[in-house]
This record gives sequence, C-alpha cells and structure tokens, in this order.
Amino acid sequence: MLPVISTTTPPAIPDVTRSKKLQLLGILSGFAAGAWLGAAEAPTKLVSIGISPMVISLIMVIGVFLARWSLPALILGTASVRADVRRAPHLVIWALLAGCLWAVANTLTIYAIRDIGLSIAFPLWNSNSLLGILWGFLFFNELRQAGWRRLAGVLGGALVMCVGATMLAIASSSGHASAAHSLNGVWAALGAGILWGTMYIPYRKAYLTGMNPLSFVTFFSFGELGMMSILSVSSLGLAPLWHELLSARSVIFWLMLGGFVWVIGDIFQQYAAKYVGISRGIPLSNSNQLWGLLWGILVFGELHGRGSSIYLEVIGGSLLMMLGVAAIAFSSATGQEQSRWKEAATRESDRYNVAADFVEARMDGRQLLGEAKPSRGVLDWLLVIAATSVFVIFAAMARVPQMSLHWGPAALLTGALFFLLITCGLSLWRTTRFN
Amino acid sequence: MPGSSANQPTTSRLASILTDIHFWVPVAVLMGGLLLLRFIR
Repeated sequence: MLPVISTTTPPAIPDVTRSKKLQLLGILSGFAAGAWLGAAEAPTKLVSIGISPMVISLIMVIGVFLARWSLPALILGTASVRADVRRAPHLVIWALLAGCLWAVANTLTIYAIRDIGLSIAFPLWNSNSLLGILWGFLFFNELRQAGWRRLAGVLGGALVMCVGATMLAIASSSGHASAAHSLNGVWAALGAGILWGTMYIPYRKAYLTGMNPLSFVTFFSFGELGMMSILSVSSLGLAPLWHELLSARSVIFWLMLGGFVWVIGDIFQQYAAKYVGISRGIPLSNSNQLWGLLWGILVFGELHGRGSSIYLEVIGGSLLMMLGVAAIAFSSATGQEQSRWKEAATRESDRYNVAADFVEARMDGRQLLGEAKPSRGVLDWLLVIAATSVFVIFAAMARVPQMSLHWGPAALLTGALFFLLITCGLSLWRTTRFN
Repeated sequence: MPGSSANQPTTSRLASILTDIHFWVPVAVLMGGLLLLRFIR
C-alpha cells in the first residue's frame, strides 16, 4: 500500500488549549496504564503449578514481544515505525537499553520476593517513581519553574503513594508464610527500583526527540526478550529450560495473555510519559498496585476470612494511593515548565541533528505537514495474523484451571478496563492520531 | 529529508551517543544491575 501524504494537519502553533488538552490526555493515559498494568496480574494468578519464576517471566515476555509487534502494526503500520527510525536512528540504542533494564529489574524482583516477601520488596522497588522524578528534573527540565505548589503536589503525591503502596503490600502479603529476611533481598528490591527508575531516561529521551511511543516499544521488546533469554539460559541451562517450557505448555496461554494485557498498559504508560513527562506519568501508572489488589480481593477472594485490621489497611492504603494520584493529577505542567521541556527537546534535536519542526510537531502530538500518513500494508497484516495464530495455538493447548472465581466483580473490573481503553484510546486518536 | 538524523555521518552520531550522559547513566545502572544479579545468584 502506497503511503498517503497528509495535507490536512496544520503546522504546530503554540496553543494553550491544545497544551492543556495534551496534559489531560497524559493524565488519562496514566490512569489507563495503572488499570491495565494491574490487570496483567489476573491471568498469571490462574497459574498455580510449580514452574520456575524465571520461566514464568520468560513466557510473559514472549507474549509481550508478540503484542509489542502486532499492536503497533495494527494501529499505525510498520511503515510508520521505519519512518520514525530513519528520522532518529540513535534512539534504537536507547530502546534496546530500556528493554535490557526492564528484564534485569524484573528478574531482581523474583529474588526480592523470594528473600524478603512482597510486603517489604514492593515498596522498595516502587521507589522507582522518585528516581524517575529526579532524572526528569536533572536531565529533561521537568518540574523546572513549576512553582512550589506543583512541585509539592508531585513530590508529595509520589511519597504518599509510596506509603499507600507499603500499606497495601503489607495487607496483601499478610497470612502468607514469612520469607526469610535477607540483605540480598533488600538489595535486589532496591536494585529493581533503581533499574526501573532509570529505564525512564530512554523513554523521555525518545519522546522529547519526537519518536512515536508505538515505534519505541517495538525495539524495546528486542532488548527485553534478548536479555530475558540470556538470563533464563544462563540461570537454568538450555535443555532444562526447554524441558520446563514443554511441561508448562498447558499454562503458556495464560502467561502470554498476562503479557499481552501488560503491553496495553505499557503503551498507555508511554503516552503518559510523552505528554506529562516521567515525573508525573510514572507515579500515575504506579497505581497499578491498587488495581492488582482489587483483582486479587474481589475476583480471586485473596483476603477472604482475614481480620478487619487487614481490611482497614487495604482501605487506608487505597485511599492514600488515590490521594497521591489526585495530587499529581492536579499538578499538571504550566506554560513556563513546558517551555523548559521544549528547551530540552531543542537540545536533543541539535545534538542528533533531528529536524526541529518534526520534534516540535511530535511534541505537540501532530504529524508534520507533508509527512506520510500512517497506513497498513501486507507485512502488517501478516504480523497481526502470525501473533494471533500463536495465541490461538496456545489457547487450544491451555487447560482451564479449577478455581473459584467471583464472576460479577470480574465482569465489573473488565468493564472498567474496556471503558478506560475505549475512552483513552479514542481521546488519543482524536487528539493526536496516536502520534 | 533535510536536517534529519539520517543525514548525520555515522561516526558523528556515534560520537554524539558516546559523549551523551543519557547513554552512560542507563549503561552504568544496567552493569550494576547485572553485577548485583550475579552476586545474588
């Protein structure tokens, strides 16, 4: 299919209304990201057989890989991805780096949970949002000239969310066998937080330079799958890994589905990072813990029969998380702060010789005048068909687990997910055409 | 595509990447993470 030349999009003009619209879009994307990232845990809860955590992580990453290639192909087409890479080829390195950082962080969390339990590990690695704020401030002019009220809103909101996350993590892990406390586990959890917090440097760099989030995630997935494969093979050995994968074939579908759901959340997270920056986008999407807990309690009956103090902890933690989210959502960037973002974008376009009008148009969520309109070709449909086929094959092999699920809350939460998907997806399409 | 990164010489682009602190901070953190993982395992 020949690319269609766009003639309808006006050149980027500084527009306060549009700027506010993009800020709201970023905040909405952060909310949607939290909901979908939290829901990604649901399919994995259906897996109760004894598979190595490394193998579970690897299978999820394979699902993630398939989704990261098929969804961008379906939404924009791979021609758009290729065009983005031609404009800013240097960003492929940052996408691969971000994927590697994610894979190592994810593996560290496995060891952290094993050694110190979820209640201590989760708040430690959830500190990634604080590091994201620091990197955003130091490297990308975020929160500069934001004013004390907004600075306090973002920092205070992130801290309150960390306290809420601690309460939720303690509540969700109470009653489980206590893990052996170990300094190794603390280091692993802190390490995961540092790796995840630093992963947002490539995110922000890519979006300040005008790369489309859908293009960035396709290359991110190579780093992610490559590093995860190396870690799995070096940890288990090739033959035992293959044996474990074969023995897990009846649950591969559920894990890959978890990966697929996670990608939808991550795509929204990328748009949040693009339009409100990492200092606000990351804490907002960290509300995934709240959604994960809602699935656990309401659908899987995880805290059934526990004491009222646990429920009080859950309610208190949830309220704190919501308070933190609200504080950040109401601290959107002012015009002065946004002009500092543009200075950082100009620095990037000068350094890597990326056309300034392209960077400006993309920061404004627009296509450049005369830029080829995204279109799907045969390759894109082949990618979508191939990814769908893999999912269908594993779905046919999947065993439906014998579990007692509460279908009413499941339908309600699924409805909320699709409401956010449609609302946020339509808003992104109408405002930016997914640019 | 005038002024695009595609027209930047590869050596110049490589030099820009290798002198960019945004490159070295994630690389250093990744190396630290891999060392930590090795130490824990």
